[in-house]
Amino acid sequence: MSYLAVKDASKQFGGSVRALDGVSFTVERNEFFTLLGPSGCGKTTLLRSIAGFADLTAGSISLAGTGLDSVPSHKRDIGMVFQDYAVFPHLTVAENVAFGLKARKVPAAETAARVAEALATVRLGAMATRLPAALSGGQQQRIGLARAMVIRPKLLLMDEPLSNLDAKLRIDLRDEIRDIQKSIGIAAIYVTHDQEEALAISDRICVMNAGRIEQIGTPQEIYADPRTIFVASFVGTMNVLPREAASHLGMGPDVESGRAHQLAIRPEHIRLDQGDVAPDSIRLAGMVEKYTYLGREAHVLAQTPAGKIVVQLADPSPTLRMETGSPIPLAFRRQDILSFDSSGMRLEGRGN
Amino acid sequence: MRVSFWTLVSIFAWLMLIALLVVPLGSVLLSSLQDQAGNFTLGNYTRFAETPRFRAAFVNTLIVGFGGLVGSLLLGSAMAFCMARIEIRGSRIVSLLAILALVSPPFIGAYSWIVLFGSGGLVRQTLMSWGIFIPPIFGLWGILIVFSFKFYPYVYLLASGALSNINRSLEEAAESLGLTPFQRVMKISFPLVLPAISAGGLLALIHSIADFGTPRLIGRGFNVLATEAYTLYSAEVGSNLSMATTISIVLIMLSMLFVFGQRYMSRRNVYHGNLINKPVKKKLTGFRNVAAHGVVYTIALIGAMPAFIAAIYSVRRTSGPVFHPGFGLESYRRILYNLADVVQNSLMFSFATVALIVTIGTLIGCLVARKMSVNTSLLDATLMVPYVMPGIVVGIAFVAAFNAPPLALTGTAAVIILSIFIRRLPYSVRSSASALRQVSPSMEEAAISLGYSPARAFMKVTVPLILPGIVAGGMLSFVTAINELSSSLVLYVGSTATMPVRIYIAINDGDYGTAAALSTVLLVLSSTAIYIAFRLMGRDERALL
Repeated sequence: MSYLAVKDASKQFGGSVRALDGVSFTVERNEFFTLLGPSGCGKTTLLRSIAGFADLTAGSISLAGTGLDSVPSHKRDIGMVFQDYAVFPHLTVAENVAFGLKARKVPAAETAARVAEALATVRLGAMATRLPAALSGGQQQRIGLARAMVIRPKLLLMDEPLSNLDAKLRIDLRDEIRDIQKSIGIAAIYVTHDQEEALAISDRICVMNAGRIEQIGTPQEIYADPRTIFVASFVGTMNVLPREAASHLGMGPDVESGRAHQLAIRPEHIRLDQGDVAPDSIRLAGMVEKYTYLGREAHVLAQTPAGKIVVQLADPSPTLRMETGSPIPLAFRRQDILSFDSSGMRLEGRGN
Repeated sequence: MRVSFWTLVSIFAWLMLIALLVVPLGSVLLSSLQDQAGNFTLGNYTRFAETPRFRAAFVNTLIVGFGGLVGSLLLGSAMAFCMARIEIRGSRIVSLLAILALVSPPFIGAYSWIVLFGSGGLVRQTLMSWGIFIPPIFGLWGILIVFSFKFYPYVYLLASGALSNINRSLEEAAESLGLTPFQRVMKISFPLVLPAISAGGLLALIHSIADFGTPRLIGRGFNVLATEAYTLYSAEVGSNLSMATTISIVLIMLSMLFVFGQRYMSRRNVYHGNLINKPVKKKLTGFRNVAAHGVVYTIALIGAMPAFIAAIYSVRRTSGPVFHPGFGLESYRRILYNLADVVQNSLMFSFATVALIVTIGTLIGCLVARKMSVNTSLLDATLMVPYVMPGIVVGIAFVAAFNAPPLALTGTAAVIILSIFIRRLPYSVRSSASALRQVSPSMEEAAISLGYSPARAFMKVTVPLILPGIVAGGMLSFVTAINELSSSLVLYVGSTATMPVRIYIAINDGDYGTAAALSTVLLVLSSTAIYIAFRLMGRDERALL
């Protein structure tokens, strides 16, 4: 039996708005599970239902073998980290972390030891007696994390914990969260709309859209083997082309027997043809429309007979010039093209 | 299903509003629609429209209302502009003076102006001895001067807040697009602060219309609706309650009309400044600097003058009502020996009112802030009604409603406490609701996820966070409660007289020494409460509005 099991979860807000529509998944012990999707896709509603802050219209949730449906949220023993930190401003850092232990009547000596340990884990040991207002956003979120972990909950929920932090700090803290989760061995559910963050941090990702699950899989599966056009274009960058482009991509009309509605290829799977491409490559003549230099990579937007295509160049030479309007020969392999039917489902497995 | 705590609060709130608002207002309306025999009639209203005296009072009310509005707008926005945009030396003192003007009861203002500019007024007499004749301050102009210098802080505090919150980039953008400084002020700054100015103006207008003490003391025959209503109600012979209630209804209608008018005018003009690029204060030099300081200090000092006059006159030597040269504490001695019960009444009533307001206001505030529903928004809207009810009307309404069993409360302390309570309740509900909205709901959820039941999470997390705001709000309610005159004047009996009532009587009797000493005691109590409030929640003059 799975550790956490969500079955047919549905949530309907007044009228016909379905925030969740028959969502089912399981999470194992020690697993880092991420709910990824655009805002309004239902991921936060789902997380709040697990925490007990929102009631499901239908469906059930069980944790460690017991149903949670009739358990009030304060008895669920589920730790939660909030987007706005929700650090208690009237308590010191240490008092914040000790807050949940007090409710559990943990003896004072043990409380002190556990608080010190938790603060050391999030590298806030020196701040124990400070008030949170004096701390930065990153430090406040560390308090939130320590506070949720110290009660040794059965499950740790994180609701976009990094979205209020600046880019560099986000990456540092994301690695820290990942390390801490693995070292204490706790099941964690993480909500984010940032696909890069999801790829970096997760054991498995659940991509959601409009209240439904699009795909559940490892980061590799989600990125390299997207099952729907939504997943393909939401995670990473994707060139999406209409079916009419098929003939230019070396795919006869017989391919996919006309069921292909949209075709897609990742920018990094397209190369500049400098006479060194594999012999079975498909070649496509294009014209530079825009060149964007990003340092470790560069993006070329090319106008081709198949439509506009973004090409990613790894480690571009600083001297490389791409004048608008100049010809650009493109090449790619047949098996890197994904095709999707009119309902957005993938048509065939990955070619290789 | 178990009836939840908040359902009980909601039921209680409605019952309370029915008892203290709907019933009294209903009684007023009913009484205005009855003749002496108790039959239904519109005669009171036709009589109101036909009687020259009432028509004059109606017009006069509009005149003092708009006069007070214009005066407050001029003084308030001039001061706001100078204080928000120009470096003024001692600006903290200036805003303290504005607070002093705001919290000193209007009738003290009237009294001080009489002391200086009345028939035998100090300044007037001195000028006359130099051969300069100025008419005594009584009448319309006196009222307007008192109102302008009394109510300008409403405009000043709101407008200066808005002015210092305008994103400087907006003005810089206008400048870079080629607007002259004057065009910039007219096209950018002014429209942005207009909602704040009109809100401040509305407060000045409503208070000018509702004020009873000033026209009564300084009007000398210049009657307004508030004074007419009181005269009709309190006449020893031929007291005419149904005419008094008719005037009350007219007064409420007027206030409502202006409130909704202002809402309608500024309905789309809500600007949320972001505070990234705050305006800086300019340092002026030379003549312009002197002029700016002159404007600010003149307004502030004249506005606070009543408080100083009261303090000075309270320590002048007196025997009976007559002042003698030199200083002495006779006036305070008289309070101690003869009027201790009045001070005690005031303190007791105010503390009782504040206790009620804080507990009930906070509960309803939580309900309004946290449980969004048709019910709570209706509750919130209904609570706006006491906000526009002039004190004199509340007094008359309570008399009309609670004069007979089952609720024969007239003459008791309870009726005075309840009348102040219902008038101040909207402020308290609003302020606790806004304090609560500052606390992120995830704060309580965090506590719940850590193992605290919702009720304990509220007590352990939310209450400590909103407590300073609530206590501060209570202190400000105390200021309002202890300075309340008009409804108490209608409702008091000998044993329940309060300090403002006694001051009013003393001024009418010409006992200026006693009035000054009582006023000083009032001012000291009010200032203490404000000091505590500011210590608790940080200095925020706008909380006083």
